Amino acid sequence: MKLVHRNLARNGPGSAKLLPEEEDDLWHAYNLIAVGDSLQAVTVRKVLRDSASGGRDAERVKLKLEIVVESVDYDKEGNVLRVRGKNITENDHVKIGQFHTLELELKRPFVLRKEYWDWLALDTIQQACDPTASADLAVILMQEGLAHLFLIGRSITATRSRVETSIPRKHGPAIAGYESALKKFFEHVLQALLKHIDFEVVQCVVIASPGFTKDQFRDYMHLEAARRDLRVIIENKSRIILAHAPSGYKHSLKEVLDTPGVMSLIKDTKAAQEVQALKEFFTMLTNDSARACYGPKHVEVAHERLAIQTLLMTDTLFRNTDIASRRKYVNLVESVKKYGGTVHIFSSMHVSGDQLAQLTGIAAILRFPLPDLEDIEM
Amino acid sequence: VPKTDNQSDLEGPHRNAGPWLCSICSQQNDTSCMSCEVCGVLRDLSLYFNNTNEPEGGAKRRNKHSGVSVLARSLFTPSSPKSKAIVFSDGFRGNKNATGHMQASLGTLHKTFMTHKQRHNIVPFKFDIPSPDDMVSIGLKSSRHLRKADTSVPCVDIPGKMVMGDDDLVAEKDTSTDPSSSVKLDELGGNSSSVAANTRNETLILDNELQHLSLERKPKNSKAKIKKPVPVSQYKPEPWMLQGEDQEMPRQLNLAIVGHVDSGKSTLCGRLLHALGRISKKQMHKNEKEAKEKGKGSFAYAWAMDESADERARGITMNVGVAYFDTKNYQVVMLDSPGHKDFVPNMISGVTQADAAVLVVDASLGSFESGMGVNGVGQTKEHSQLIRSFGVENLIVAVNKMDSVEYSAERFNYVKSQLGIFLRSCGYKESAITWVPLSAMENENLVTAASDTRLSSWFHGTCLLEAIDSSAAPHRDVSKPLRLPICDVISSHVLGQVAVCGKVVCGAIRSDSKVLVMPSGELATVKIIERDSSRLSSARAGDNIAIGLQGIDPIHVMSGGVLCHPDYPVSVASSLELKILVLDITVPILPGLQFELHAHHAKVSASLVRIVSLLDQKTGKASARKPRMLTARQAAVVEVRLEREVCVEEFGTLKALGRAFLRSQGSTVAVGVVTRVVQRELELQ
Repeated sequence: MKLVHRNLARNGPGSAKLLPEEEDDLWHAYNLIAVGDSLQAVTVRKVLRDSASGGRDAERVKLKLEIVVESVDYDKEGNVLRVRGKNITENDHVKIGQFHTLELELKRPFVLRKEYWDWLALDTIQQACDPTASADLAVILMQEGLAHLFLIGRSITATRSRVETSIPRKHGPAIAGYESALKKFFEHVLQALLKHIDFEVVQCVVIASPGFTKDQFRDYMHLEAARRDLRVIIENKSRIILAHAPSGYKHSLKEVLDTPGVMSLIKDTKAAQEVQALKEFFTMLTNDSARACYGPKHVEVAHERLAIQTLLMTDTLFRNTDIASRRKYVNLVESVKKYGGTVHIFSSMHVSGDQLAQLTGIAAILRFPLPDLEDIEM
Repeated sequence: VPKTDNQSDLEGPHRNAGPWLCSICSQQNDTSCMSCEVCGVLRDLSLYFNNTNEPEGGAKRRNKHSGVSVLARSLFTPSSPKSKAIVFSDGFRGNKNATGHMQASLGTLHKTFMTHKQRHNIVPFKFDIPSPDDMVSIGLKSSRHLRKADTSVPCVDIPGKMVMGDDDLVAEKDTSTDPSSSVKLDELGGNSSSVAANTRNETLILDNELQHLSLERKPKNSKAKIKKPVPVSQYKPEPWMLQGEDQEMPRQLNLAIVGHVDSGKSTLCGRLLHALGRISKKQMHKNEKEAKEKGKGSFAYAWAMDESADERARGITMNVGVAYFDTKNYQVVMLDSPGHKDFVPNMISGVTQADAAVLVVDASLGSFESGMGVNGVGQTKEHSQLIRSFGVENLIVAVNKMDSVEYSAERFNYVKSQLGIFLRSCGYKESAITWVPLSAMENENLVTAASDTRLSSWFHGTCLLEAIDSSAAPHRDVSKPLRLPICDVISSHVLGQVAVCGKVVCGAIRSDSKVLVMPSGELATVKIIERDSSRLSSARAGDNIAIGLQGIDPIHVMSGGVLCHPDYPVSVASSLELKILVLDITVPILPGLQFELHAHHAKVSASLVRIVSLLDQKTGKASARKPRMLTARQAAVVEVRLEREVCVEEFGTLKALGRAFLRSQGSTVAVGVVTRVVQRELELQ
C-alpha cells in the first residue's frame, strides 16, 4: 500500500489517500474501513436517462463518488473489496442519499475519511505501507492423497489449490495401482505448483508432509523438470526446501511455519510472530495454567488486576459493526500497552489467527498466576 | 373398502434387492435384465411393486411410485436420464431403487404408453378409475377424492367384481406393460373369487398407498436423493443373510499387528506366512537375494509384506499390508500396520477393522524403552491405546527379539511388568492379555513351541499361532442393515473399474444386490465379491472382502465412505457431539483446537467448537461448570465441527461406526465415541 496523502490527527478526524498495490493491501483496507467512515473512489455506475422520445437509455458513467459506509465485504478468493453506502457528493447522475457500492481494486487510489483515527487504524496503515515485512512464501502441504498449496503473504494466507485423490493401499499384485495413483497425484500437485507459484514474487517454496511424501514429490518434481525442461523449477532449485508436517490439512501449517528451517526464513514477518505468540500462550498454559487465560470476561478481569503481559487478539474483534465495542477493544489494547504489556493483533486470515478466533478471539499471557479465574464463569 | 389399512402401514418397508423374481412365471432373473428371461415380462412390474418376491409371505405388493406412470415420471424428470429424483415419488421411502438402468428406456416408455391405451380398451369401468396421469394431478389434492372414486365403482355389491374393480386400479397404477399381465388381470376378473384373498391383500396395500399419496406428496422432493432414514429397528434381515451363518467355512478373524517402529512387525508377519507356507520358495528366495543386494539381509521376511519400492528402500512399513492365512479355527486376515510415528493415520485407517491384535514389542535393551516413550510418545503406548479404543479386548503381546537378550526370563518379566501396568491402565483385562516371548528372526515360538533350550527351559505357554487361534470369537451382527466402511478404492481387471475393500461391519451383502454409497448417496450394484482372491456369492458381518461395483462413477466412491442398505442409509454429519477421553498430552485442549478426526476409515480436518462438560472419571457424571480446558486423562463431552461430512453412527447404535480418534500435531490427543450426530437437515434450517 502506498500512502499518497495524509491529513489527519491522531485520535481525531482527518483523511488519508491510499493506493493498494498488492493483494494483501485489500485485506488491510478491509480492516481499515469501518461503518460510518466516508470513502471516496472512482467508480462506474449505470445511469438511466429518459430521452426526449419517451424511451429510456442506459449509460455507464465513470464517476468519482464519496459514500458513507454501511457495509464492507471482502472476498478472500477473488480478492475484491466491496463497500456499500449512501452517496454524499453532489453529482449530475447520482442523487445524494442514493445507494452505491464501490469496488476497490488494486492500483486504484481511494480516500478514506474518519471521524476518529484510533491507534489501531494508524498502525494498520503503517503496517500496510511497510514493504520489508512481506513474507511471500509458498507452502505445499501434503500427505498421501491430499495436498494444499498456500501462498502466505504479510497478513493473509490464501489457499490457492487443493488436490485430493484416492490412493489405494498396497494390495499384493495390485501394487502397480498404488504407484500409478501416486504418480498421478504428484502430477496434479506439480501442475498446481507451476500454475500458482510465481518465483518472481515468492521468495521460497516449502514442501511439507509427514513421512516421505515430500521427498518422493521432490524427486518426482526434479525428474519431471529435467525431462520436460521446466526452466522455472530447474533455475529455482535452491529456493525449494523441505519441512516436516504432522499432516496435510490446513491447520498443520502452523507447525510447518514453526520448524526451524522455515522460521529462519520468515522470522520478521507477521505470520511468524503470530505463530510464536500463540505457541508461547500454549506453552504457558501447559506449564502454569493459572498464568494464561482466554475469553473476553477472563481477559478483562486479568486486565483490571494489571496482570496482562502479552495480549493476543484477532482483527475480527475490531471489525465489529458495533462502534462501542470496537472502541472498548481499542482502549483495552492501549491501556495494556500503557502498563508495559505487549500486544499481538492476529490476522484472521492466517492459520494461527484462525485458531485464536475460535478460541473466542482474545487470550492473554499473565505476569502472575490468577488461579481464581478458574472459578469465574466464562 | 377395508378399514384395516392403517395396520399395513406399520409393517416395515422390506425390500429385496437381490435377483428379482418374475411375477408371472417365478423365474429368478438377474438384476441386469430388464425383462424376464422365460416369459419376457418386464421387470418394471416388480419395480413398481418392489416387493413381489417375499419368500414366504405371498404376493404382498407395494406400489412404490405411488401410481405415477412411467410416462408421467419421465415427463417430470426430463433433465437427465440418470436423475434419481423422481418428482412424484414419496418422500419416505423414495426412489433409491429406481436408479440408472431401472429408469425405463424410451422403448419401454413408448410401449407402456401404448399398452396403457390398449388396456383401456380391454378393461371395463375405465371411466371410474383415474388414469395414471390423472392421478398425478389428483394426487396433489387429497386421496379422499380418489378413495371416493374407488368406492363409487358401480358394482360394489358383488364382492368379486369389487375386487376386480380394485384390481383394475392396481393395474392402472402399476402400469404393467406386458400383454400377458393384462391377460392375467382378465383372468383375475374371471375367477376373482379364487384369488380374492390374494387381491384383497393387494387392495389393502393399494389403499394404504393411496393414503400415502396424500400424506407424502408434498412438494418437498429437494432431498429426494437421501431419504429420510427408516428407523433401524424396523429392519428385518432377509433369510439368505441368516442362513448358513453357523456352518460355512472357518470364520474370519481380522488380526492387527501393531507396535513401535522397528519392533519387527513386518518380519514377524513374513515369518509367519513363510512358516505356514503362504510364501512360495521362489518368492522367498527372490526377496532374500534382493534384500542382500541392498545390504539389508535381515529385511528379507519383512519384504514379503512391504512391497512398494519406497518401503523397501527405507526399510519401514508405510501402509497397512494385508495377508491371509488359516488356523484351525479361523481364517485370519493379517493387517500389518506401520509403526512409524508419521504413519499412525495410515495405521488408524487400516486397522480400525481389527477383531484382535498382536502387540509386538522389542525386548532388546533400549528399544523397549523407546517404544514406551521415554523420550516423547512411544508408539507401543499409542498403538495399544488406539487398539483398545478400536474395541479390541483381547491382546496378544509378542515380546520379539528375545534372541538379542539371550532369551532371558528376567528381561521378559521386566517387559511384562512394565507394559502390563500400562495396558491395565488402558482398560485391558489381565486375563485378556496373552504374553508370548519369541524371536521372529530365529523362528522361535512362532508356529511351534520353542526349541531353543534357553527359552523352553522357563517358558511353557503357547506359541504365537496357538495364541492367535485361541482368541475369542468376535461378535458378528448379521441382523442389522448392511454397513461396510470403505477402506480402500481400487480398480483391477478382475473386480472392474470401481472396486472397494473393507470389512462388513454388520448385515450381509450378496452379489447383484443394490447398495447405497454414502456420503455421495449414489446407488450401485454389487457385481463381484472376493475374499483373498476367491469368489464368494455373499458375505456377512465380519468378513473382509473386496467388492466390484457397477453402475456408479468412480468419483462417488471414496475411501472413508460407507456402503449401506439402500433403505437404511448411514447418518451423515458435519457436526458431532463426542464423549472423549484425553490421552497423555502435554499441551491442554482448548476450544478452537484444530485436529484430524479419524472415524473408521474416514479422516477429516475438524475443530473443537466447545467443551460441553467435564465428566467425572469415577462416576461419569457431568460437572456443572464449563471447564476452561482439558488436560491429560480427563473425560469430557465436546462438540466438534468437521470440515467435511463423514458417515458416522451414534456409538449406541453401531459401535464400529461410532468411534472417533482425535489427532493433533502428529500425535493422538484423544479417543472418543459419538454420542450425538447433528443431522444435516437440521443444520440447513
